[in-house]
Amino acid sequence: MIYLYIWLFPVLAGILAWALKNTKLNALLVFLHSMLHLVVALAFILPDNAFVAALGLDTLNVWFFLISAILYFAVGLYSLQSNTKLTTRQSSIYAICMMAFVASMDGANLSRDLGLIWVFVESTTLASAMLISFEHHKQSLEAAWKYLFICSIGIALAFVGILLLLIAQTSTPSLMIDKIMTMSSHISPFWLKISFVFMLIGFGTKVGLAPLHFWLPDAHSEAPAAVSALLSGALLNTALLPLIRMLGIMRVNNLGYLASQLFMVMGLLSMFVAAVFILKIKNYKRMLAYSSIENMGIILIAFALGDLAGKAGLMHVMGHSLIKAAFFLTAGNVYNLFGQKDYDKCTGLLALNPISGWLWLLCFMAIIGMPPSPLFISEFYIAFALLGSGNIFVLVLYFILLATIAYGLGRTALAITMGTSDTKVKLSARQYLPQIALLLCAVMVPLITQYLS
Amino acid sequence: MSDILLVVFGLSLLFASITNMLSSIVRILIVQGLILFMLTILKTNEINMWEFAFIALETIVFKAVLIPWFILDTIQKNGIKREVEPSVSNFFSLGSMTAIFAFAFFIALWSGKSSPNLYPLHFGIAFAAILKGLFIIIANKKLITHLMGYLIMENGIFLFSLALGSDMPHVVSLGVSLDIMLSILIAVLFINRIQNSFEDVDSDELSTLKD
Repeated sequence: MIYLYIWLFPVLAGILAWALKNTKLNALLVFLHSMLHLVVALAFILPDNAFVAALGLDTLNVWFFLISAILYFAVGLYSLQSNTKLTTRQSSIYAICMMAFVASMDGANLSRDLGLIWVFVESTTLASAMLISFEHHKQSLEAAWKYLFICSIGIALAFVGILLLLIAQTSTPSLMIDKIMTMSSHISPFWLKISFVFMLIGFGTKVGLAPLHFWLPDAHSEAPAAVSALLSGALLNTALLPLIRMLGIMRVNNLGYLASQLFMVMGLLSMFVAAVFILKIKNYKRMLAYSSIENMGIILIAFALGDLAGKAGLMHVMGHSLIKAAFFLTAGNVYNLFGQKDYDKCTGLLALNPISGWLWLLCFMAIIGMPPSPLFISEFYIAFALLGSGNIFVLVLYFILLATIAYGLGRTALAITMGTSDTKVKLSARQYLPQIALLLCAVMVPLITQYLS
Repeated sequence: MSDILLVVFGLSLLFASITNMLSSIVRILIVQGLILFMLTILKTNEINMWEFAFIALETIVFKAVLIPWFILDTIQKNGIKREVEPSVSNFFSLGSMTAIFAFAFFIALWSGKSSPNLYPLHFGIAFAAILKGLFIIIANKKLITHLMGYLIMENGIFLFSLALGSDMPHVVSLGVSLDIMLSILIAVLFINRIQNSFEDVDSDELSTLKD
C-alpha cells in the first residue's frame, strides 16, 4: 500500500510533464515533489505519532528517508533555475527521471522486504543512468555505460545472495526482515554466510566499496551537480541499508563476528584506496567522489563495531550526506564560474565570488571533521570504540588515512579559493541558499540523534 | 526429461566458448530461453492461467524473441563486425569453461550435503552459467558481447531461482522480469548512442575517464 502512495505523485506529475513539456512547470513539479518529501519526513519525526507505527516502519527506515528528503529538497531548490539551457523535451525527461529516481529510493528506504529493496535498488540504477548521461557528451555517456553495466552485474550478484537467503531458510522461506529475524533456529548458517558474501559484493558495488568502486568517480564527476549531490548523498545510503539489515540478521544468527570482520576489511580498504587517489588526481569533482568512498568505508567500520559506534555510524551517514551534497552543489557553482574541472586551472574563487568561496572552504572544513561538524563527533566515537575493542592497528591506520585525506582535500580546496581575480561574478540566491541550509542542518545532526534511542 | 534439458543447457554453454560468430551466441540465447520455459513448466505442479501467462511472457517473449531480436537489430544497424573477437583463444576459453564446470559441480556436490532438497545437476549448471556469463564479460572487448555475457548470467540466475522450487516468493519473479526488461532496453539504447559518439563499440574506446 505504501508503495502506491510513493509512486502516486511521480506518475501523475510524470504524465503532466510529458504532456505539457514546459520547462518552468517541470522544475516546479520536481520542487513540489521534494516539498512533499520534506513534509512527510517531518511528519515521521514528530514525537509520539502513530504514523510510523501504522506503516510498520522502524528507526532505520525513517532515518534514511529523512536524509534523502532533506537532500532532495535542497536539490529541488538548487535546480529551480539552473536548467534553463535545456530544450523542453530534455527538461521533461530530466524531471521524469529525477522523480522516478527519488521514488525508487523511497521504496528501498521504506521497504522491510529484502526482495522489494532489491527491486527498488535496481530501478534506481535505471533512472539515474539516464540522469548521468544527461548532457550527452562522450564522457557522460561513458560514465553512464560503466555505471549501468557494473552496477547491473553487482545487483545481479546481490540477487543470487537473496536466492541463497531463501535456500538458507529451512521452513517457509520469507524475505521479510522481521520474519527472518525471529526464526534464527530455522536458518542454516552455511547458506547464510554465502548469502551474506554475495550481498556484500552486490550491494557493495552500488555503495562504491573498494575494490568495486571503479564506476563511482566517473559517474559522480560526469553527472550534473544536482544529480551528483543526490547520487553521493542519498543513493549510496540507500544501497547501504540492506547491508546494515543483513548485518543485523547475521548478528541474530551468531555470525556477527564474521560479518564485522568483512565490514572492517572492506571499510579499511575503501579508506586506503580513497587516500591514495585523492593525493593523485586533479579533477575536484572526482576528488569529492573519492571522499564519498572514504566516508562509506568509515561508516562500514562504525557498523562493524556496533553498539555506540553503530549509533555514531548513523550520525556519520546523515552528516556525510548533508555535507557532501552541499559540497557537490558548490562544486557545481565552481564549475559554472571557471568552466574547468581540474583544480590547478581554477584560482581566486574567494575574490571572484566570495559566497561560493566561503561555502567551499566551510564544506571542506566540515567534510574533514573539524568541529562543529557532526563528522567530528562520529569519527571520535568510532576511534573510541576501536580503542575500546582493542583494534590498535586499525586505529593507527584509521588516523593516518584520515590525515592523508584531509591533506589531499585541503590542497585542492585552498588552491581553488586562494589567489586573485580581477572580476566579480554574482550568482542567484538559489545557488547558495541550499548549501547554507544543508550545512546548518548538518551542524544540528548530533542534536536530533537523540531521537535514535 | 528435465535432466536432458539441463544437459542441453550445459552444452550450450560449452558451445558459447568455441563459436566465433555473434549470431550463434544470439542463437544460444534463444535456445536457453526456450529451455528455461520448458523447465519452468515441468517444475511447477499446478499452474493457473496467470502464472502460465507470466512465465511464458518472461521466458519466451522476452528471453527467446524480443531480446535476441533487439541484439541482432543493433548489430545490423551499427555495422558491428560479425565476429566475436575475444581477447583469449577458443582453446583457452573451452579449457576454462571445463574448469568452471568442474568447480561448479564440486561446489554443488559439496554444498548438497548440507541441504538435501537441492539437486546437484541443476545447481551446478546454474552456477556454471553465472560464472560463464562473468567470464564472457571479462574475456571480450565488444560492448555487445558484454551484453550477451550479462544475459547468459541472467539466464543462470533464472535457472538458479528455479532450483528453489515452487515456493518462490512472487517478488523474486517480479525482480527477474524487471531486470531483464528494463536493463536490456536501456543497454541497447546506450549501445546505439555510444556508437554515435565513439568510433567503435569496444571497451578500449571507453577510456577517456581515468585517474
